[in-house]
Amino acid sequence: MNLIQPNNVIQNSEPVRIGFIPLIDCAPFVVAQEKGFFASEGVNAVLSKEASWASIRDKVAFNLLDGAHMLSSMPIAASLGIGSIKTAMQTSFTVSHNGNGITIGNSLYDQLQHFSGSSLDIRTGVALKRLIESRGDKVAPLRFAMVYPYSSHNYQLRDWLSRAGINPDKDVQIVVIPPVKMVDNLRCGDIDGYCVGEPWNSLAVEQGVGHMLVTGYEIWGSTPEKVFGVNTIWAEQNQAQHLAIIRALEKACLWVDEAENQAELLSILSHPDYLNCTVQQLVYGFGSIKPKSQFDWPMEAFQRFSGSDINKPLPSYALWVMAQMHRWQQLGNNVSKLNQLAEQIYRKDLYYNALGLVEDKNTIEWQLPEADEAAWLSLVSHGKVRLHPEGILKGFETFA
Amino acid sequence: MPAPPEKELTVMLVDNEPARAAIVEQAMIDSGYRVIRRLENAKNLTEAVAEFQPDMVIIDIESPDRDMLENMSRLTQDNPRPIVMFAEQDDSKYVEAAIRAGVSAYVVDGVNSGSVKALLQVAIARFREFQALRLELESVKSQLEDRKLIDKAKGLIMKHQQCDEPAAYKALRKLAMDRSQRMTDVARNIISVMELMGGSK
Repeated sequence: MNLIQPNNVIQNSEPVRIGFIPLIDCAPFVVAQEKGFFASEGVNAVLSKEASWASIRDKVAFNLLDGAHMLSSMPIAASLGIGSIKTAMQTSFTVSHNGNGITIGNSLYDQLQHFSGSSLDIRTGVALKRLIESRGDKVAPLRFAMVYPYSSHNYQLRDWLSRAGINPDKDVQIVVIPPVKMVDNLRCGDIDGYCVGEPWNSLAVEQGVGHMLVTGYEIWGSTPEKVFGVNTIWAEQNQAQHLAIIRALEKACLWVDEAENQAELLSILSHPDYLNCTVQQLVYGFGSIKPKSQFDWPMEAFQRFSGSDINKPLPSYALWVMAQMHRWQQLGNNVSKLNQLAEQIYRKDLYYNALGLVEDKNTIEWQLPEADEAAWLSLVSHGKVRLHPEGILKGFETFA
Repeated sequence: MPAPPEKELTVMLVDNEPARAAIVEQAMIDSGYRVIRRLENAKNLTEAVAEFQPDMVIIDIESPDRDMLENMSRLTQDNPRPIVMFAEQDDSKYVEAAIRAGVSAYVVDGVNSGSVKALLQVAIARFREFQALRLELESVKSQLEDRKLIDKAKGLIMKHQQCDEPAAYKALRKLAMDRSQRMTDVARNIISVMELMGGSK
């Protein structure tokens, strides 16, 4: 194997076009550019602010971008050809874990008070289930929003609803709304609740528009949120550049998580070229500051960019996502060889290669038994397999 | 000009560039399509698609509303109208051309793909035409801007050195050549230095 040593700075590189969506978890890309981590790896990165996930997907598929800040499910959906033209995409670097939450509007929250014995009934969705039953099917269903059909937000929202016995496809209506418009849509009553990344949950609480109920961490434990996704053909033709980008992003992620860099980080992100907002609007996205009257976030639920294998792309997470796609009728029937697909899309080997790490052979990642794919998918769709409460790094738990 | 479709196709055009929307709309009408134009925000888009049920939606690829549009088949569960991204695998050439031109199209499943292709060709051509116009306009604007900068710098040099216009121009050009900079960059530097010294008043 042609192993490229870390710190082997590449020379005279062609520009690499990297797309990003102006969200706080684009931070590693922005920091790698602004703090010179790309440059010091010899990467000539050109960042391009994009307006939608669909735009990111299409531009990477048709080589208008080489790679991008992507939802962790996106390289999987693209590679499987669901929701778009089938294009091989892959990731070798997880940018962030966590940061999502579910928030509901004041009006719905007030109604739920009448259906709950305790605040736990509201947070678990039990009160919502009772409310929906009492409403019957003569009124328009409650409307919830998420950010993209193939996203952790969609799957977490659906998982949370179904754990309370609510059918996400029949008992409520689920729509897509871009993150920046969530709070306004909640305020004017167009939607009753949503699942979105920070700071849009905390901002709704701060502005008195809604109540945050649960973090993504409490639903799935620590899980990948965004990745650096690339077109597979580009990755094969530009391996040295690809690995250099991974090294730059790794450094940027460490920088982002360093508390003493936070003021500078917020100032960079707020710039018009990036998030184009005030520093104050970004504060809730990072660290332990949360608005008054919001319940305490568990420490583990915060968005994380570095440390203990956060950045390693785990094929077992790709398996989990495919199982969610199956669960919500997105996958179609003719998918097999899931392990192989997962390894092709989540390229752990390239991550190790880029950082010059040697994989510890004692930690064998969870794999789906070859013969049992259909059975496993069925178990997931019936809620019999769950992510470990601490997250994907700990694997899965199967219930009887 | 492509042949008009057998059945009148209804097209919804979503574009926040009124000038472009107008030329694309006219081209489509000329080709025999019925166009419903929508330039309002995303909320209206959702309602408009539900109300008018177009056969096809053409949207600017840079529109943040695309994610919503793609998910809208979920919204119409009571009255299924699948909105799918145009093109199967073998049509990727069309999609690539559309994306490069800035066009994104969604069609109702079952619409004759021949007429969709013809329509998309019209849209792509008009989007490209508009892009070329805009680039030209920007270049004219920036030339005007350059002219103004150079004139202002010349004026400052004339005042400061008490020389005539050709001499000021020559000085400016020499400076640009010596520094291997563009004339406008040199002009901009001179203006900012003079303003700093209070000499521009």
